[in-house]
Amino acid sequence: MRRIKSNQVMYLGNGNDAAAQAVLHIGYDGEGYYPITPSSEVGEIISKAVADGKSDISFVVGTSELAAIGICTGMAVAGGRVLDVTSAQGLLLKAEEMPAISGMGLPMVLNLSCREISAPLNIKNGHSDLAAALGYGWLIFMAPNVQAVYDMNIIAIKVAEAVGLPAIVAYDGFHTSHANRRILIFENAADVAAFVGEKPAMRNVLDTKNPTTFGPYMNDDVINTKVNMEQKMAKAYEIIPQIFADFEAATDRKYDFVEVYGDKNADSGMLALNSAAEAAKIVVDEMIAGGTPVKLIEPIVLRPWPAKEMVEAVGSMKRLVVAERVSQYGAGNYLENEVAAALQKAGNCKCEIISRVYGIGGLNFRPDEDAKPMFDLAVNWPNVAPELKTLEGRYWGAWPGKADYNPAPSIAPLTIEETTLNKDIEKVDIKAVRELSKMPSRIDKQSACPGCGIFANLNLFMRGIDGQVVLMFNTGCGMVVTTGYPLTSFKVPYVHNLFHNTSSTATGIVEMYHRFRKQGKIPDEEITFICVSGDGGDDIGMDQLIGAALRNDPIIYLEYDNKGYMNTGGQLCYTGILGQRNSNSHVGPGQTGKQTQSKDIIEIMRGTNIPYIFTAAESNPNDMITKARKAQATVRNNGFAFGKLFSACPLNWGSAPEKGNEVIDKIVKSCIHPLYEIEKGITTLNYDPSKTNAKIPVTDALTAMGSMFAHISNPKNIAIAEAIQTEVDRRFDRIKALSENPSL
Amino acid sequence: MAEYQLPYQDKRGFTNCLLSAIGGDGANMAAKLLFKLAAKYLNLDGAYDAKYGSEKKGTPTDVSLKLCNYGNPVRESGPNNRPHILCIFRENLIRPLGLNHGLEENATVIVNTCKTPAEIRDILQLHSGTIYCLDAAAISITSGSRLNMPMMAMLSHVLKFPEDHVIHAIEDTWPRAKEPNILAYKQAVSSAVSETFAADGKYQLEDPLDIKSPLGYTNMLDGGAIDALTHSTIKKSNAGARSNPAPKFDREICIDCTKCLAVCADPGAIVWKDAKMAGIDLNYCKACLRCVAVCPTTKKGKALTEGDLACEE
Repeated sequence: MRRIKSNQVMYLGNGNDAAAQAVLHIGYDGEGYYPITPSSEVGEIISKAVADGKSDISFVVGTSELAAIGICTGMAVAGGRVLDVTSAQGLLLKAEEMPAISGMGLPMVLNLSCREISAPLNIKNGHSDLAAALGYGWLIFMAPNVQAVYDMNIIAIKVAEAVGLPAIVAYDGFHTSHANRRILIFENAADVAAFVGEKPAMRNVLDTKNPTTFGPYMNDDVINTKVNMEQKMAKAYEIIPQIFADFEAATDRKYDFVEVYGDKNADSGMLALNSAAEAAKIVVDEMIAGGTPVKLIEPIVLRPWPAKEMVEAVGSMKRLVVAERVSQYGAGNYLENEVAAALQKAGNCKCEIISRVYGIGGLNFRPDEDAKPMFDLAVNWPNVAPELKTLEGRYWGAWPGKADYNPAPSIAPLTIEETTLNKDIEKVDIKAVRELSKMPSRIDKQSACPGCGIFANLNLFMRGIDGQVVLMFNTGCGMVVTTGYPLTSFKVPYVHNLFHNTSSTATGIVEMYHRFRKQGKIPDEEITFICVSGDGGDDIGMDQLIGAALRNDPIIYLEYDNKGYMNTGGQLCYTGILGQRNSNSHVGPGQTGKQTQSKDIIEIMRGTNIPYIFTAAESNPNDMITKARKAQATVRNNGFAFGKLFSACPLNWGSAPEKGNEVIDKIVKSCIHPLYEIEKGITTLNYDPSKTNAKIPVTDALTAMGSMFAHISNPKNIAIAEAIQTEVDRRFDRIKALSENPSL
Repeated sequence: MAEYQLPYQDKRGFTNCLLSAIGGDGANMAAKLLFKLAAKYLNLDGAYDAKYGSEKKGTPTDVSLKLCNYGNPVRESGPNNRPHILCIFRENLIRPLGLNHGLEENATVIVNTCKTPAEIRDILQLHSGTIYCLDAAAISITSGSRLNMPMMAMLSHVLKFPEDHVIHAIEDTWPRAKEPNILAYKQAVSSAVSETFAADGKYQLEDPLDIKSPLGYTNMLDGGAIDALTHSTIKKSNAGARSNPAPKFDREICIDCTKCLAVCADPGAIVWKDAKMAGIDLNYCKACLRCVAVCPTTKKGKALTEGDLACEE
C-alpha cells in the first residue's frame, strides 16, 4: 500500500476538476473566462464556488477569448493574481495578448486544455495550440495526468510570480481534461496558499502615489525588454529545481525538468509528451521485463527549455523516436528540432532522431497498438518496413483510404424550379403554407437533440426563400450536428469558418458571386446567401456582424437565440436573461445566476441602419415566412437583412421536448421576445398580445422555459422577476411607441 | 468483510467495463457513482473516461470504467475497446455500433430489454459469456427513478459490489431521491434474467472496430470538404435517437392545418404530399412529439397521437 503524506487526501475528478481545485486552493483574485471545449469546465467549477459562497474570486465572463484574456491583463496590471483557461482556437484568438502579457511582465496562469487547431474543425486532442505558444515568452509546464494538473497549477503560479512571467499549464484535452482519476490533493487550502506564498508586490495601475505608465510606445528600446524576458527565463531555470524539491517535500510527489523512465542505458527509446508518455510507460516496463532495454523521455518543462537536462536524458542513446501530437509542415517538427539542436550544441551527434506525428485530432495512443510499435521502430531503425520511412509513414495512424471507393449519389442537387414556390403567393395564409409544404428542405437529417428549435426555425424560415441558397454557419450546435465527417446534412453549398467569422466570410463570398456573375464565369442565376449563427456567435462575432451590416452586403443573417452557449454546455451568453442559471453563472447563496439584463441585438443592429431587421418565432409561423420573403426581397435590392429567431433548447433549458412551441408562444406573449420589424428605419410591431388580453407576466414564460429559468419565479427572487418585468415592459412600450410614430 | 476480488483482470490487472447509451441516459453519472464507490468504499483505483466530444441528447455515447487494485498505476487514458463487461442501455444500439467487437470471451453483458438472453445473444452475436436482461425502462418508470439507476444497479451487482455499500452510495449521492433509486436498484437485481453461453463456436470473437473510413489522404476532397451529392445524411436513420415511440397519424382525422409542419424539429419527419399531410417518416422522426403537442383536437380527436409504449417498436 502506498504511503500517503498526512496533509494529502483522496480526490476523485478529471483534469478540469483538478485544475479548478488547485485554483480554489491557491486563492486567486480574478479570472477572465470564455467557454471552449474541452477546457470550459474549469471556469464552471470556479463560478459554482462563487455562487455557493465558497470563493470570492472575481469571475468575469468575456464576450470572446480575446476579451477574457484582456480582462485578465487588466486584473493583473491592477495587481491581482489571475488565471484563464482555454483551448485551441481560444488560444489563437488571445494570441495578440500573449506576448503583450509576457512583455509587460505580468505573472498569471493559463490552463491550456490542449486541442487540435484545424479546418475541418476538430475538438479533440492535439498540441498545435501548445506549439503556437512556444515563443510567446510564457513559462510552459506540462501536466501529463490528472494528478499533475493539480500539482503543476500550484508550482506554475509560484514560479511565475517569482520571475515575473506568465505561465501555461498544458494538459491533454479529453485524454486528461475528461479523464476521471483518483488523485491526492492538499486537505487544507491554507497549506497550498502557504506553499505558493503572497503575490510579490509590483508596480500597479491602482497606485496613484506612484503613477506608472504601462504599455508605452517603444522604438529601438524594445530589444531591451526581450533581454529582460530572456533573463527571467534564465532565472526560472535556476529556481525551478528548488521549487520542485519544496513541492516534493510537501507532498511526496516528485517532478523534474525532464523525466526519464525505464533503462537509463538503453540504446533506443521514445520522447513523448503528456498522456501519450504516460501510456508509453506501461510498454517500457513490459519491454524491459521481456528483455528489451528501452527508455522514455517525458519533458515536464518546455519553457524555459531544459537543454542540459535533455542532453543528459538522451545520454548515450543511439535511436530516439520523437513523437509529437503536432506537425510543423514542410519542416522538422518542433521538439525534433529542439532536441536535435540541444544534442548538436552539446557535441552529441551520435543519436539518430526519428520523427513521428501521432494522435492528432484525439486519436488514442494505446500501449499495445501505438506505444509498442513506436518503441519497436526505435529498436529496429533503420531496418524497418520501407513505408515507415516515407512522408506519409511519419504520420502515425493516418490512412490512405480505399482506392475503389466510389459511392453513387444519394441526392440530386436542388433545382430553381422545385424551390420557386413563393413567386405566385400574395399573402402567407394557411393555403399558402400548404402550398409551401412542397418546398424541399435545404437541410437533411441532423443529430440535434429531439425537439431542438434550430431546425424547426430554419426550415420554417426557408419555406419563404425561393431558388438557390448558399448557407454559412458559425460554430455552434447547428454546425456540429450537421456535418459529422464524412456525411453532410446540407443539400446546398455550405461553409463553416469557425465561431465568429461567418458575416465576414459571407461578404467575401457575395463579392465574388457578383464579380463572377458579371464576368460570365458562373451562370446568371440568383443565389440567396444566408448566414446562421447562435446567440453565442453574435457575442464573439458582434464586431464582424456589425461590419457586414455597415457594408450593407446583400446577406440574410439569422440568429437562433437559445439564450446560451448550448454547444459547449450551457454557459452564459449576453443574450441570457437576468438571473438565468448557466453552467458558469450558478444559483446559490453567493449569486443568483446571470447578473445583467438580456442583450438587445435588434436595437444594436438598428444603429447600423440596414434596410431590414426583424424578430420571428415558430409560434407565429405565417409571420416568420412573411419575414423570410421580406428578407429575400431585401437582399434582392442589395441590402442586408438581420433576423433573430427565438429557439428552444430542451436539453439546457430543462424543458420537455414536446413543449417547445408552447414555450415559445409564452415567450412571445410575455413580450420577452416581441415580434416586430424595422424596414428602412420604420418600426412595425407585428403582434401586440396586450390588444387581445393575451399578454402574460414574464414569470409565466420563465417557469415554462424550464429549470434554467424557473427559479426566477420563486418568491424569494421577486426582485429579479420585477426587474425583468420592468425592463421587458420598457422595451416593449418603446417598440410600441416607435411603431405608432414612424418618424421616431 | 471478505477481501473484494475484481471479477476480471486483464494482463495489466484491470476489469474493463463499457457502458453504451445515448446522450441523456445518464450513463456518465452511473459510471461516476460506481467509480466513487470503488475508490471510497473498496479502496480500489481505476478510471472512468466519457466519450470524447460533443454530446447531444439522443446521439450514441459511451463511458469506459476500469477498476484495479490500489497501487497499480493507472496510466492509459481513453475508452475501453476490449471490455469484459458491457452494459447496453438501448438494445437498438447493438447492431449499428457493432457492440460485440472487442468484447472479451466469457464476457458479462447487461441489456435493457424485454427480450430473452438467448435472443440478445443472437442480436449481439456473443462469442461466450453471461447475458443479463432486465426491463430497465419499465423499472425506471415504476420506481420513479431514471434509466441509469437499474442499469447502474446491475453493473454494481455483476461487479460484486456489496449491496450495503451501493445503497450507502445512492443515499449519499441523491439524498432527496434515495427511495425511488433504492427501489430501482432492488427491482433491477431481483428481476434480471440471466443465461450463460459457452464458447460453442456459434459466434466468433471479433476485434475492436476499425475507425478508418474508406476516405483517407489519397481520396478525400482537398481540405476535408464533403461532396454533398454522394455523402448526404439522407440514408442515415434517426430511429436510434428516439426515447419515445414515434407518433401515430390518422389521415381520417387530419384537417391539414399545417401546425405540425411548422414545428417539426427534424424536417422530413412530417411528410406532406400534394399539399396534404401524409404521415411520419420514421427514418427522420426522433419522437420529440412536438407535432403531437400542437395537433388540434377536432370532433374526431387528434390526428397525431403518441405512439404505443410497447416493449419494442
